[in-house]
Amino acid sequence: MRPRLLLACLIVASIARASSGPEPVDLLLVAADDATLQPILQRLDSPRVKTTAAWTLWLGRLSNKSVAVTRTEGDPLNAVAATTLALRQHPPRLVIVFGTSRAHDPALRSGDIVVSDAFCAFDGMISPVAPLDAGSDALTWRKLLHPVMTAGEDETPMETFPADASAAALALSLASPPQRIVSGILGSAPQINREADRIAFLHSEWKTSTEDGESAHVAGCAFLFRIPVIGLRVIDAAPASAAEFTLRFVDAWK
Amino acid sequence: MIRHVLRLLSLLLLACAALRAAAPVDILVQGAEKLEIHEILDALGPTAEKITIGPFSFWRGQIGPHSVAVSLTGQGLLNCTTATILGIEEFRPQLIVNQGTSGAQAPYLSLHDIIVGRRTLDYGAFITPVRAAGEGSHPLAWTPVAQQLRDSATGQLVAYPSGFAGDAEAIAVALRTRNPMGRVFPGVIGSAHEINLELDRVRWSNVTFGMDVEEMESGHIAALAHAYHIRYIAFRVVSDAPYEGIPFYAQAARATALFTVNFLHNLPTLERAAPSAP
Repeated sequence: MRPRLLLACLIVASIARASSGPEPVDLLLVAADDATLQPILQRLDSPRVKTTAAWTLWLGRLSNKSVAVTRTEGDPLNAVAATTLALRQHPPRLVIVFGTSRAHDPALRSGDIVVSDAFCAFDGMISPVAPLDAGSDALTWRKLLHPVMTAGEDETPMETFPADASAAALALSLASPPQRIVSGILGSAPQINREADRIAFLHSEWKTSTEDGESAHVAGCAFLFRIPVIGLRVIDAAPASAAEFTLRFVDAWK
Repeated sequence: MIRHVLRLLSLLLLACAALRAAAPVDILVQGAEKLEIHEILDALGPTAEKITIGPFSFWRGQIGPHSVAVSLTGQGLLNCTTATILGIEEFRPQLIVNQGTSGAQAPYLSLHDIIVGRRTLDYGAFITPVRAAGEGSHPLAWTPVAQQLRDSATGQLVAYPSGFAGDAEAIAVALRTRNPMGRVFPGVIGSAHEINLELDRVRWSNVTFGMDVEEMESGHIAALAHAYHIRYIAFRVVSDAPYEGIPFYAQAARATALFTVNFLHNLPTLERAAPSAP
């Protein structure tokens, strides 16, 4: 038995301790809101819905693949909760987190599609010691990485979470000019940053191409269980456009 | 390749056949770091059962009159949210106790004081004003964004700008529980992946949210407990105090762990509620 194979078996088995047993799927699709999800849900064959506490899973078939779909509400907490439930109940071969985003990279234009080269949860910070009445300046803050729990009860601080390289290559191959598809680091935090200096600071410090409310946190959750993940983000566009590209990806994915 | 796939499938089938629904526990007790659960694991005794789910470890046993699962959540939202969902789904607790270290956000607090969370909240979400290049970044002008949860009954998103109240009965017991290393106060606990050492922002979080201490988990876990309709309480010991210039002292974790064991012994037996739809 190969050690990697054994490890994969143990991880999948250990997260799938749901009392009714796991129901694996080919793909888990994750997006923030109903506007982004609707084009996907409308195409689901044999759909069914499961609700656990505040989170909903839609199950069905899409392009002849078994899929689970879940909604993040656009923030890290709901994103990680919904993703954890989905991974536990329906372990997928690939997680796709998709939607719209705001640019950190000044080279990006409205309508560009950014495919995950990696993911970065950029919400961690440590401020310098400063006395009362000295103010607060976010451009002096240092990065605080997310520690990720690993087997053996040790945590590893991670600046980025990996994206699945083969899925990213497939997504990049789906270019249809004049729309641009580029590779980049998808950043997420429970923040809407509109200060130009802070956006430039985040881009410089964390190397983020984009920001949204959940993608890196979903990727971090998938990484906890060593499940491959890809992110697809459209810059400053209508939510449906992200779903349309995701559907093209699902059609092409084997 | 086919042989490996068949092996994988065989192992998965064996693993799935071995799956079982864990017996529920009364209380899920959480700590982010090993130091924060050390004394609690000791209190479980030598017969505690260790359960591993993904990368997360749980220990099941008995403390006082309660069946308990102790969870090492890891730091921050990513770890603690995942560990909590797994812990709730696996152990179906009636009460969650989240405890650990924190940074003081109010000048009256000293090292080893414990805040019992009368409410806990996520204070890390915000929207900034629009500023052009060269105009800087000014956190004290950012607008907080409240944590939202979808109400399963109405299907609507509900915002919780004040966070989530701690369980009143558990708070009452906690406030008459002994902290062997410091004082005990009711207060407000704020969570974000942040360490704030600028005193103006520390003061801002105290004024804006009423926060007494900041840390990285309890407000997130409070939201999850609320979503599942599970009773919840958080304890945080002061391990660093920027007003006094006291840097992080990891061993302060011992105070909150000992306090938590005392609390569990003081807490009356919980009545298990009738099962209800989530």
